[in-house]
Amino acid sequence: MCCSYGVIPRSDPSFSLLPYKPSITPTQVHVPRSRVAILTRVGSFRTRSFSSSSSVHDGGSVASPPLTEELMSFYELLGISSEGTAVEIKQAYKQLARKYHPDVSPPGRVEEYTQRFIRVLEAYETLSDPGRRAMYDRDMARGIHLAFSARRRFQSDQRMEERGEWKNRWQDQLSELKRRSTDKDSQGNMSWGARMRRQRNDL
Amino acid sequence: MNESTHLECRQIKEDLRGYCSKVYLRGQAQTDVPLRARFLVDDSSLVLAYSVVPDIRCLFYISPLNAGMEEQAYTVASDSETPGGEKSASTFPETAIGIDIGTSHCSMAVWNGSQVELLRNTRNQKLMRSYVTFKDDIPSGGVTNQLSQEYEILSGAAIFNIVRLIGRVDTDPVVHASKTLPFLVQTLDIGVRPFIAALVNNMWRSTTPEEVLAIYLVELRTMAEIQLKRVVRNVVLTIPVAFSRFQLTRVERACAMAGLHVLRLMPEPTAVALLYAQQQQQNVPDNMGSGIEKIALIFNMGAGYCDVAITATAGGVSQIKALSGSTIGGEDMLQNLMHHLLPNMDSLFSSHGVNEIKSMGLLRVSIQDAIHKLSSETSVQVDVDLGNGSKISRVVQREEFEEVNKNVFEKCEILIQQCLKDAKVEAEDVDDAILVGGCSNVPRIRNLVMGTCKKERIYTEMNPWEAAVVGAALEGAIASGVSDPFGTLDLLTIQVTPLSVGIRADGNTFVPIINRNTTMPSRKDLTFTTVHDNQTEALIVVYEGDEQLVEKNHLLGYFKITGIPPAPKGVPEINVGMDIDTSNVLRVFAGVLVPETQNPVTPFMEVRMPTVDDGHGWCAEALLRKYGSSLDLIMVQKKMQQ
Repeated sequence: MCCSYGVIPRSDPSFSLLPYKPSITPTQVHVPRSRVAILTRVGSFRTRSFSSSSSVHDGGSVASPPLTEELMSFYELLGISSEGTAVEIKQAYKQLARKYHPDVSPPGRVEEYTQRFIRVLEAYETLSDPGRRAMYDRDMARGIHLAFSARRRFQSDQRMEERGEWKNRWQDQLSELKRRSTDKDSQGNMSWGARMRRQRNDL
Repeated sequence: MNESTHLECRQIKEDLRGYCSKVYLRGQAQTDVPLRARFLVDDSSLVLAYSVVPDIRCLFYISPLNAGMEEQAYTVASDSETPGGEKSASTFPETAIGIDIGTSHCSMAVWNGSQVELLRNTRNQKLMRSYVTFKDDIPSGGVTNQLSQEYEILSGAAIFNIVRLIGRVDTDPVVHASKTLPFLVQTLDIGVRPFIAALVNNMWRSTTPEEVLAIYLVELRTMAEIQLKRVVRNVVLTIPVAFSRFQLTRVERACAMAGLHVLRLMPEPTAVALLYAQQQQQNVPDNMGSGIEKIALIFNMGAGYCDVAITATAGGVSQIKALSGSTIGGEDMLQNLMHHLLPNMDSLFSSHGVNEIKSMGLLRVSIQDAIHKLSSETSVQVDVDLGNGSKISRVVQREEFEEVNKNVFEKCEILIQQCLKDAKVEAEDVDDAILVGGCSNVPRIRNLVMGTCKKERIYTEMNPWEAAVVGAALEGAIASGVSDPFGTLDLLTIQVTPLSVGIRADGNTFVPIINRNTTMPSRKDLTFTTVHDNQTEALIVVYEGDEQLVEKNHLLGYFKITGIPPAPKGVPEINVGMDIDTSNVLRVFAGVLVPETQNPVTPFMEVRMPTVDDGHGWCAEALLRKYGSSLDLIMVQKKMQQ
């Protein structure tokens, strides 16, 4: 299970900010800069993990460093125009998924591909939701570019609210089904499975 | 898999030499059996070693507690027809094998270079019964065992329904429901692993679900090695959606005991989704360009579990949109009908005497048979003599069967609706309704799936019994890096997490950090704060599930953050992050941030979950008793929302 993740040794303190070994590669230059990025409250956990591990990985990589991707808009990331249709967004996402999903990464570059995929995914998830896309476009127009983290907390709140709403609805359905089944049969001839489940619910 | 459980082959070989003075081969004691090849050591008290030597295949059992004094060893199979089994280890990466471990049946398949091929056992079966019989200390599983009669499985000597028992604690209702099985399932209801035992020479011989699964997997592996004439190490296993991460670790442990390396544990319907993606790709090769996306609902119901998945497929990429699953299956229908026809069954069979086991076995076989017949007939005659003076002789109508199992069908419908809702897909948008698994012949299930998906017919391009294992074999080939010149393997499944993972916070509430149906890989974090003034420590208790109350979810592990700078409550910022990679490995990160600088106060903690072991059922309770709410956290509420 751990195999494909094995590129990063367990001791890699990707989340501790402190590089665990001094890097001697020239790309080290951008490390202080990514530290600055971390200092924004919103970015904290994720940005930090990206930048510190990219400093480890960029060393031998010829691909464009993820740092520039950080500055790209979601549209640029997906390679579509800001007028792109929902179908175009979906197609772009699937194409990039085939390219950057960690499952198709060359051996030894899983972590880099994971980061890229997560970025692409966030771009896709934002742009494929009309409400969130509108909000993103508004922020872009106002010159606020907070890719990858700005809306995150808000999104999760929103998602949780949706989830809550869904749960209520589902519980309504459930209780309706329960009511129906208790109406029909008295306690006496309840099936064994029903008794077990009731027991489980009472636990 | 725990690396520390691997020991050097040579070392163990030497150790085994000391322990194994006797080796039995076909009942005959052998002397000086050369022990070569691979050994894997379970980190519990039991050591299982698997040896491949040119002409003998053995599975050895050595308990370190009485090592050197008493050994049991048994032959799994003779392998004289494969000359030099070990020599075939090639420099090419081996293609991983797909294994579908079902509650009642298992199957195995492999990519043969141009297509997926199902492996057959010596009796030419593609579907093998999942059970292990313990007889005269020589266990044998459903892969090789020649059963004279069906009810021999039900004699008490065989352990089955393992997939339902593995990784569950003895307070679990599913374990309690298994007490009517002919072997011994004993519970103490304290949150530890249940005691299970097989009847051997009129004695209850204890075993564990992991051990039974390992023995079975060794047989599967032996069978595959003989047929493929190569070493088999890497596997892709299918698992039920409802499996907790703790259960996954038990499956991995069983695989490790059998010397197998798990490349992927795939939820069953996602394996089916991969096969569907391949079929769509072959039918409409360039649907990528045209942007046509097909949405399929996959409903899989076997003996032990029911799973639903919704997948959106285009250009060979299968994006799983949502998963839902539950421990409900053919076994429940069987139990319900048995209890319906013999209401005092539990008390009749509670003693587990030899005669009771026999009657229980007879009842099981005839009811199972009746259920199968009810798939094609509208009524069936049940005649069973339980031997103790009680007889059942009556006609069972299909309507009666459906009424008795009303709850099972309702649950299935709820699972489908939940999955559609989670995927934000309307029933009308579903292009194909796919029905697979052992219960796909039950007419009510077919109607229910067609009805809920508003489809006139079920997708017919798949064999319902083989789809999951074929998908697993495809994933095995892809994950092994096999490429196919005809593009048959240009496939990708983008998986989602079936259950939310989060921590206990805000009192006794489960706060998800990664919500269920989140695309993997995924990284998320949330900020928490203290509930007491000058609180310097906080307990991070990690759970998995979708219930609001923490104790209704699965406990995965716990650890403590220390060194929180003294401050009024609500001031310290405690960051808890979670990371799930594509291999479904979960890591939890936690630490305290200095609010002004966002630097960590002390190094962050990184913990790979789950960390709990068998008998974890009481851990949460013990933590609560010891610490109360003194180390609690609450979520920082929507602070960042503008």
